[in-house]
Amino acid sequence: MDRGWYWRLGLVIGVTLLTVWLLVPSYYSLFVLDRADRNNLALLEERMPKWAPPAKYRINLGLDLQGGIHMVMRVDTKTALQKRTERRGDQIARYINTDKQIGQVTVNTDPEALRLSLTAADPNTMDAIEKEVLATFTDFVKVSRDGATLVLAPDEGQVNRFREESVDQAMLVIRRRIDKWGVAEVDVRKLGTDAIQISLPGRSDPEQAKELVGTTAQLEFRMVDDSTDFFRQTFTQTPPPTGSNITLDTSEGFPQLVGPNREALLAYVQPKAPADRQVLLECIPSATRKGVCDSYRTYLVEKEVPLTGESLTGADASLSQLNEPEVNVSFDAAGAREFELLTEKGTGRRMAIVLDDYVQSAPRINERIGGGRARITMGRSGGRPLDVWLADAQTLALALKAGALPAPVTTGEIRQVGASLGDELIRKGSLAATVGLLLVIVFMVIYYKLSGLIADIALALNGLLILAGLALFNATLTLPGIAAFALTLGVAVDANVLINERIREELSHGKTVRMAVEQGYDRAFWTIFDAHVTALIAGFILFFTGTGPVRGFATTMIIGLLASLFTSILVTRVFMNYLVHSRNAQTLSV
Amino acid sequence: MQILKKQTNIDFIGKRKPAIFISTVLNLIILVGIAVWGFNLGVDFAGGTVVEVKFNHDINAADVRKRAEAGGLPDVSVQSIGAAGENSFLLRLGGVTQLTEESAVKAQDAIKALGPVKSIYPDLANGIINLRSEQALTSEQLSKAVEATGTGVEEVRELGQAQAGGFDYQIVASGMADRIRAALMTGVQTPDFEMRRVEYVGPQVGKQLRNRGVAALLYSMIAILIYVAFRFDFKFGPGALLAMLHDVVMVAGFYLFSRAEFGLTAIAALLTIVGYSVNDTIVIYDRIREDMAKFKGKPFAEVINIAINDTLGRTILTSSTTALSLIGLLIFGVGEIRDFAWAMLVGIIVGTYSTIYIASPLTIWLDEREAARQAREKARLDQPKTA
Repeated sequence: MDRGWYWRLGLVIGVTLLTVWLLVPSYYSLFVLDRADRNNLALLEERMPKWAPPAKYRINLGLDLQGGIHMVMRVDTKTALQKRTERRGDQIARYINTDKQIGQVTVNTDPEALRLSLTAADPNTMDAIEKEVLATFTDFVKVSRDGATLVLAPDEGQVNRFREESVDQAMLVIRRRIDKWGVAEVDVRKLGTDAIQISLPGRSDPEQAKELVGTTAQLEFRMVDDSTDFFRQTFTQTPPPTGSNITLDTSEGFPQLVGPNREALLAYVQPKAPADRQVLLECIPSATRKGVCDSYRTYLVEKEVPLTGESLTGADASLSQLNEPEVNVSFDAAGAREFELLTEKGTGRRMAIVLDDYVQSAPRINERIGGGRARITMGRSGGRPLDVWLADAQTLALALKAGALPAPVTTGEIRQVGASLGDELIRKGSLAATVGLLLVIVFMVIYYKLSGLIADIALALNGLLILAGLALFNATLTLPGIAAFALTLGVAVDANVLINERIREELSHGKTVRMAVEQGYDRAFWTIFDAHVTALIAGFILFFTGTGPVRGFATTMIIGLLASLFTSILVTRVFMNYLVHSRNAQTLSV
Repeated sequence: MQILKKQTNIDFIGKRKPAIFISTVLNLIILVGIAVWGFNLGVDFAGGTVVEVKFNHDINAADVRKRAEAGGLPDVSVQSIGAAGENSFLLRLGGVTQLTEESAVKAQDAIKALGPVKSIYPDLANGIINLRSEQALTSEQLSKAVEATGTGVEEVRELGQAQAGGFDYQIVASGMADRIRAALMTGVQTPDFEMRRVEYVGPQVGKQLRNRGVAALLYSMIAILIYVAFRFDFKFGPGALLAMLHDVVMVAGFYLFSRAEFGLTAIAALLTIVGYSVNDTIVIYDRIREDMAKFKGKPFAEVINIAINDTLGRTILTSSTTALSLIGLLIFGVGEIRDFAWAMLVGIIVGTYSTIYIASPLTIWLDEREAARQAREKARLDQPKTA
């Protein structure tokens, strides 16, 4: 036995041990924990022995195997853009005709082409109007001018930003709604430019899936209770549990609690609130990751809801005289009365605008507001550029107007699997894969005897390696993935068939056993390598174009093929070399 | 033990012409069939709703269909899946929302009865009725009116006042899954079934998925060809490509004639076949290349025949072991996975065949052409120059 052989043997043993070790979390998650706790990483960590790898390295079951909802939602930015263009048209008309009074224009909208055409009653005023409009409404550009008619189109950059923001905002809203259910492993991500993909493992209630799509937000106006020192008292009297990262923050001028985890924050503070008060959170959006809340800020509000969004008739964002963005809202008659009463009673206090149970903003009421119109100022800019700040105001206006989702969202795709079906598929799938594996194993032993047994050992290791690979890369095992598992094992054993056939051939040419084995492996290597590479190419393309379960197929196939290169060539060779060299064999059982 | 007891000496190359002829005819039939009948497109590509229902008592597909029809779903397809005792059924509906041409007319009439309407048009693909009303309406009013006509309403979107006057609304119809549940509930008090799986794919998404699937197939073929051209001589390329195309078309033929659902899993099967088909081809090409060096001077066709005969045993063996691994899936797999296993089996068989009868002969053909071209070239050069 040469030195290289011992090295290779060490490598094989090392990889085997590592593989088994990597499978510990998967084993505990699938066979030790209760079904309901499968995704409970904390519990998994607790149950596993100390030496086990971190709980996150476990095989995730795909939504088709554990039950859950996979949704793709399309954000209809086109409709939202059309409505926005129409609204801007109204504003332009009002600005020219009433505010500035530099002429009389009629504005026509072509919603399909997103064009506004302004026609002046007096053609002589059009030059002045054009100048004024283009200087004030910078989000529009001039398309053409024909005498008394000016055609405008939204600025391309603005349109793109609006599209992007609509999708981001929709993602944020959807994530918040899901947060309310307390689902642990949600995956919300952008798909292309105008779609959002959501995975909800373990959930299969269609009603909940639908709630995500509903655009009608629950908008509420509620009074903030700043009269008590509730948050400071709570924080000093019963400090939050260590590790929760909850801090007391007074940067807004009054004590508030800030924490990174929504559940922990509410669990800590909500039970301590007075009976007629409720703690609501404001989401501090992450600066880097769009659609994600970095942390949450608490507000103590009255439980009573004096006014809801139902009485809202309009909302528009604009710049105030101080060049600060603001949102103008208007109410219907009943709402206007209610709002007047509310602001009269609450002058000097803050009013929280609550969307989907999150505080959107909490402006201070400066005076009684009559006439059914109100202005929400956007607070401090926080160093943000004006256009970003204004965009916030526009988003709020849209949210107030069209519900929480800035653009209508339609369901593109729902795939929902019940938990019982998932269990059945796991059972049937593993049975199918096991039967296939056993047939191959038996065949190899009968056909190649000892060499077949060696190939079988490699095959078993290959199976374990696939599972360990899935665990290591946090990949997802799906039903098509199980099919890929069976198929890949079939392909993996092909390599050993090629090697063994080659060895037989070399033996039949009268070569010594040693030579035959050497040449069998050497000659078959490139064939096996090429075969694996071509299959890998197909696998990677499937991985990058597929979604959901099909992607699971590709993942399993790719891992399986890589593992197969290792086991069918390196692992079997270690055994074969042992047979041939150390025992100085004259014959080989192949 | 050995699968082929002694060295075979079959003249594969001699029979290449009838083989190529039969393959070409079969491929053409399949391609024409795809163009004329088309695949039985699954919900992934066609859009639509599929619901898997399991009853807690014995019931057959005909009774399930009867119940659905009684509940007002005339065009639902009911298919029994799994073992007979499982009472599981797949219900498929083409429409994805409850808004059909018929129901949209009724719903529009109901909306018009509420008050003067400026414009109204249904968007059947998305299941939405767009409405511009002269007067302000409430969501409840609208959804009640539409639901009274038998179309479920998921939500009413109030889009606010329009610039040209009027109030804009979108009435979004409920999905078909709700409708199926409601239909199956006719005549029973408590549900005697469980909806185990719901798949809904909107028409636009379906189209996207289809385009992506076809693109994936093309890309992988190109990528694999580049690899083969890089690793082998150029003259091996066309043979590998045609063998690959042949196999893909044949497996597509399986989906065409078996009427198995053609969805994302089918694309996965085709892609796997693309990868697998070349595997087999590579084994023989490697051998041909090796033998070309070994038997210098022998005619190319003969070398290929030797190579094929020498590797025949392992070609059959590798195909068989892969096929063996699929047997479990053929027996215990359900639905798309079983179809996948069958498709793979077909692919493995035709893959082996195409390697021998298509990929290899084509290299001869190219070789002969190349030889002929060189001969012509030579003849031209050899011609005495006339002054």
